Order: sequence, then C-alpha cells, then structure tokens
Amino acid sequence: MNLRISTAPHIHHPVTTKRLMIYVLLALLPATGVGIYAFGLPALLLIAISCLTAVLCELIWQKAAKKPVRISDCSALVTGLILALNLPANAPWWLAVIGSAFAILLVKQLFGGLGDNFLNPAMAARAVLLASWPVHMTRYVAPTFFSGVDAVTAATPLSTKSAELMDLFLGTIPGCIGEVSKVAILVGLLILLFTRTVTWHIPFTMVASVFVFSFLFGLGNEEEPLMFALYSILSGGVLFGAVFMATDYVTTPMTPVGQMIYAAGIGLIVAVIRNFGAYPEGVTYGILLMNIATPLIDRFLPRKIYGYQKEGKKA
Amino acid sequence: MLKKTFKRGIHPKQHRGSKRPTQDAPIENYVSDSVVIHMAMNIGTPATPCVKKGDQVKIGQVIGTANGFMSVPVHASISGEVTAVEPIPYLGEGNVTAVTIKNDFYDTWVDDLKPLGSVENVDPALVIPAIRDAGITGMGGASFPTHVKLTFKEGAVCDTIIVNGAECETHLTADHRLMLENSVRIVDGLRAVMRALNVEKGIIAIEDNKPDAIAAMERAAFGRVGVRVQVLKAKYPQGGEKQLITAVTGRQVPAGKLPIDAHVVVLNVGTCAAIADAIIDGKPLVSRICTVTGCVKEPKNLRIPIGTIVEDMIGACGGFSEEPGKIFFGGAMTGIAIPNIQTPTAKSTNGVVVFNEKDAKSLDESACIRCGRCVAACPVGLNPYKIKVAADASDFAAAEKLHVMDCMLCGSCAYMCPARRWLTPSFRFAKDKITAERRAAARKAAAEKGGNDK
Repeated sequence: MNLRISTAPHIHHPVTTKRLMIYVLLALLPATGVGIYAFGLPALLLIAISCLTAVLCELIWQKAAKKPVRISDCSALVTGLILALNLPANAPWWLAVIGSAFAILLVKQLFGGLGDNFLNPAMAARAVLLASWPVHMTRYVAPTFFSGVDAVTAATPLSTKSAELMDLFLGTIPGCIGEVSKVAILVGLLILLFTRTVTWHIPFTMVASVFVFSFLFGLGNEEEPLMFALYSILSGGVLFGAVFMATDYVTTPMTPVGQMIYAAGIGLIVAVIRNFGAYPEGVTYGILLMNIATPLIDRFLPRKIYGYQKEGKKA
Repeated sequence: MLKKTFKRGIHPKQHRGSKRPTQDAPIENYVSDSVVIHMAMNIGTPATPCVKKGDQVKIGQVIGTANGFMSVPVHASISGEVTAVEPIPYLGEGNVTAVTIKNDFYDTWVDDLKPLGSVENVDPALVIPAIRDAGITGMGGASFPTHVKLTFKEGAVCDTIIVNGAECETHLTADHRLMLENSVRIVDGLRAVMRALNVEKGIIAIEDNKPDAIAAMERAAFGRVGVRVQVLKAKYPQGGEKQLITAVTGRQVPAGKLPIDAHVVVLNVGTCAAIADAIIDGKPLVSRICTVTGCVKEPKNLRIPIGTIVEDMIGACGGFSEEPGKIFFGGAMTGIAIPNIQTPTAKSTNGVVVFNEKDAKSLDESACIRCGRCVAACPVGLNPYKIKVAADASDFAAAEKLHVMDCMLCGSCAYMCPARRWLTPSFRFAKDKITAERRAAARKAAAEKGGNDK
C-alpha cells in the first residue's frame, strides 16, 4: 500500500480553468451562430482561420520556448474566436491571421502567457488592426441572412445613426460578425451568469455607465437624451464588449468593488470618445485603458481584513 | 429562528454527500488488542512517560505526567501490560515518545477516581484543575490544552461560552452523533465551565444541516438557565473559531489576539462532554468518537480508546472497499495525511477518511488566471493570489505585509482555485517560516538582554 502524503485541502471545486474556458466558448456560441447565419460563408471562414491561427501560434510558441503545452485549456481558442467576432464579415483572411498571431504571440505569450498579460489579447489585436487597416476594419456589410441579396457595404450605424433601435437589438444592421445580434449576446450573458463564470458586476456596471454618461452628454445636444442613451448601449460593441471582453479574468480587478470601478471607467471613456472624440467607437480603447488601470485598482483598493476593525464597532 | 453566519466562505456542495454514510450510524464501541499512546497530544510541551516496559496499567492511570502549564497528563486508555516505551515517528513532526499497551480485556479502571459531584454543586475553584488533571485538550482538532484556554490573564472579561457544534468539515459526523446521543453531557460540561468562570451565557452553535442535533440539544438545554442553541447557516468554515464568534456574537477577535479578547471562550462539543465526564464521574479523557469513512466497507462512528491504531479501526469497519490512495485524520478541508496505517490516533482525531487512488491524485498547478475566486472565498478578507506570489518567491517579508499571519489555513481559496494552485500549502510554509524567524529573533533579543545584565 502506497499512501500519498499531501497537505490540505484534499478536495477541490470541480470547476477548472479549462471548464471555465469551455463555458465562455459555450456562451459565445449563440453570437457565433447568428453571425454565421447573418453573414454566411465569409464569416465562417474568418472564424475558422482566426481560431486556427490562435491555437497554432500558442502551440508553436510553447514548443519553441520549451514550456508545457497548454493549448488544451482552450484559452487560445477563446481569444481566436473573440477576435474573429470583432471583425467585419468581409475582412480579408490575412487580417484574421495577423490579428490572432499578434494577440497570442505579442500580447499574451511575450508577457508570460495565460494570466500574465496585462491587456486583453483580442482587444489589443483589434486596436492594432483598427489603427493599421482602418478601411478593412470599418467597412461593414449588412447581414444577408442568406436572402440572396447582394451584400452592400455600409458605414457603421454609429456614424450615420440611421438604424432603428429594434434593428439594433435584433441584429439586422451592418456590424462586426459577433456584435450584430444583441439577443444572442444576452443569451451568452445568461449562460455566463448561470454557470457562474462571471458575476453581474462588470457587464451591468459597464452598460449602466455607458447609459448614464451618454444620457448626461446628450442632455444639451440631443433632442431625446433618453433615446440617445438607449441607442448608445445597443449600438457598436458596447454589449459584446461588456459581456465578453471587459469580463476577461486576467485583465480585470479581483474584487467586486474594484470590478465596478473598472467597468464604470470603461463606460465613461466610451461615452467621452463617442461624443467628443474623433472615432465613432470607443469600446476598444475604453477596455484597454481600464486594463492598464487594473493593477492600480487592485493595489490601492483597501480590503477589510478580519480582526482589524476599530474597537467597539460591531462586525 | 434567525440563522446566523459570517462573511464569504464556501459551500462545498459537491461534497455535501460526504457525511451521508455515517450521519445516521449510531456510535459503536470498539476496543482493539493494543494501543500506542504518544506523549505529544497537546499543543505545547509533551508529557513525560512515567511507566516502563512490563508495568501493568489500568484504564485512567497516568502514564505521562504534565510538564508545566502548557501541558496535560496522558492516561492509559485500556488496561493491560506496557510492552514498549519508545520513540515513534509521528506525522512529520519528528519522533515522539509513545507507550504501547497490550490489552488484557479486563477493562479495569483505576481505583481512585474522584468525582466532584453534580455540575450544580461543584466547587467552582476545583473545575479547572480537574480539567487539567483529566488530560483534556480541544477535541475539535487543535488539541489546545483546555485548562489554558479557561485561565485568563489579569483583567480579562468573559461573558459568553460558545459550544462549537458546527462541524462544518466534510465527511465528519463524530460531533453530530455525540450531540444526538450524549446531548445532556455536553450541556453539563458547558454548565460546569459557566459555573467555574461565573459566566451567565452559554450558546450551543449548530449548522442548519443537522436539524436532529439542533432538536436534541434544544431538549437538553431546556430549562437550563442561560443556555440556548443558536442555529447557523451551513457554510465552510462556520466552525472556525473566529468565524463562529463573529457569527454568534457579531464581535471580531482582534488580529493576533485570542477569543477572550472578544470576551468569548469557544469549546468543542466533544470537549464539553469530556469535561462533564471528568467532573461528574471523575474519569480522565481516555476515549473519543471518531468517524471512519470513505473507501471502507462499512463507514462507522466509533468510540475508540485513544491510541487505537488506524489499521484496527479500518478492520472494525470491514476493511478497505478499494485500494487506498490517501488516508487523512480529520475532514477533507484541513485533514492531515498519514504515512501508513500503523499510525495511532490521538485525543484530537475526529475522523479517519480513506480516499481511493483516483481522489488521491496529485493536481498540477497551472497559471493563475486572476479569476478572483480565492478573494471571494477568503473568510478573513485576504488576497490569496498576491500572498501566493510572494510566498513562491520566498519573499516572506512581503507575505507578512499581505497579512499571511492572519490566514487560518482553512483551505477555502485552494478549494475554489480553478488553476488548482497550491495556495494553502504555500501559506502554511510561509507561516511556519515567519514563526520560526520571529522565535529566533526573540531568542536573540533575550540572549542580548541577558548579556547586558551580566
């Protein structure tokens, strides 16, 4: 008989890193499905290329750096899929390859791999693509839903404000592959909440923050500030960003209060960029800037430690 | 009734069924052929053996005398012949001296048991000396000498005694069964301590997943002035001393201080029953209830003479049901793994849990993904992920700044961690290092002071 000696605890919660990643993939499934349904074969190809590149890059890096190969934890797959869902459906295939490779190699692995990257890999890659190939990244096609109608290129609704709220909600407007259908994103959010992959703090605070600041900024300029605020949260990448990108564990604060400060900060930056900046969209930069602020939030947010309360005060 | 609880903590739901095999199993008496009683059963100074090979001993006879205040005597738990007095290796703590007794099965008790009478009439001044002489230590697992706990420094005020019947650990049902089958003794022990310390409030705290124990203890407490039952939410670590105090009284124990600084003393239900045995019958602590469960054919709650060998207890439970991969004393959250089945039990052994090879498998650490589950779980409010980084880098000064010394090693963070990081083992190592450094510094300071005096 050979008894193992190890220190407590001897049991663990069944949820592992891999299972959490699978929950995220599961939550991305509705948005992916609607994206493919809406934009057809080009979307499917982009998604496949992006995912494949991400996983291959991770494998090659880990082999080359003689690190344990951990592609089976699915984190690279998540990055590849999220990046693809952030591309317009008619983006060229090499855009997906460059984006994925950049996300995995430069943003994730160069900084130490899973857990050590200070920026959300997919988000940083998107920012680079947006700055380098702005035309490819902002020429959106309207969803065809396999209706046979030729795809038309159109500007993002944010810059024309032509789409109706209902169209925004259902996803019958031009946009990125994963962003168009808000219904699918909300189903994904429910999956994330139900599996306890994320808590409500980041998605709800971020959307609420965008809503509040858009309303405030719209007070002087818009005829209907309330409608403008509603429009703001439903358009562009706010909802997708709030559910899938701002909630990335690695680049967000650890405590619920820290997470709410972080998410509120994103909302403010998004509203400022959209209303006062040169770009029509600010979700990417909002999340990246607050990713950078995350270590500060974690460092300076005080925690109440048991046994250090003031005399005479009840717990 | 309002259910009380503490902040954060975990719900080991997936292991909720771990108590099921034994929670309805009545306590069975089991006596083996021989026992191995070691002398280091209490935290503090070990006892000194006072018998030699060939001696005949009776149950309750002192076989190890206490050494100073932080020490309690050790008693023979069976009658028979002493076959060995020798050092044995014990749970990685180095060698400890142990007395082996071969059972003659006459079960003769020592002749000079000195009962102090009923708990209503006992002389309060005699209670704490009697507790020490009975060799009573904390039965919940910590083995802190009970008489030390009940002796306060000048000016300390105690207004509440809490009896810990939470049993929040997985697998264990020893306290649960004791509350069902020996509820009056527990209340008697509590009342004896209340009388000795002149405390008017005694609260028996039980988790809401043991409704039968709550009912039994409420019956036993009925009509006893100042004694009541407090129902707590089932959550881990509800039975942790500090969590229990905060849940029941709303007070916090100041960092680095003792429960008495929050005017509370916490006693385990088993300790209370042992106190009642010592006062009413004059009997020292020679047996305890131990849950034997996991991969054994018939999981049981056994009342065993202290020093019973694990192998004998497994035999009493029908043997292993699967090839064992790991065996530990206590519950799965804080239990101590034992190296072999020849290991003897001690006064604090509340459970023997057998894991099969699959459950015993070692888990590989992977990278921290900063998910925050450890932060959400920590009942103390620490940042386990940060302490782990400091501890892994052997930066114990940084770990100390991050309050690693306030960590009570409950294991909640490590249980939750999806990357399976060895959080609690790292913290245990860091705490041991820092404690050793502090001791060395104190010794050095004392030596220098002594040098100056000359």
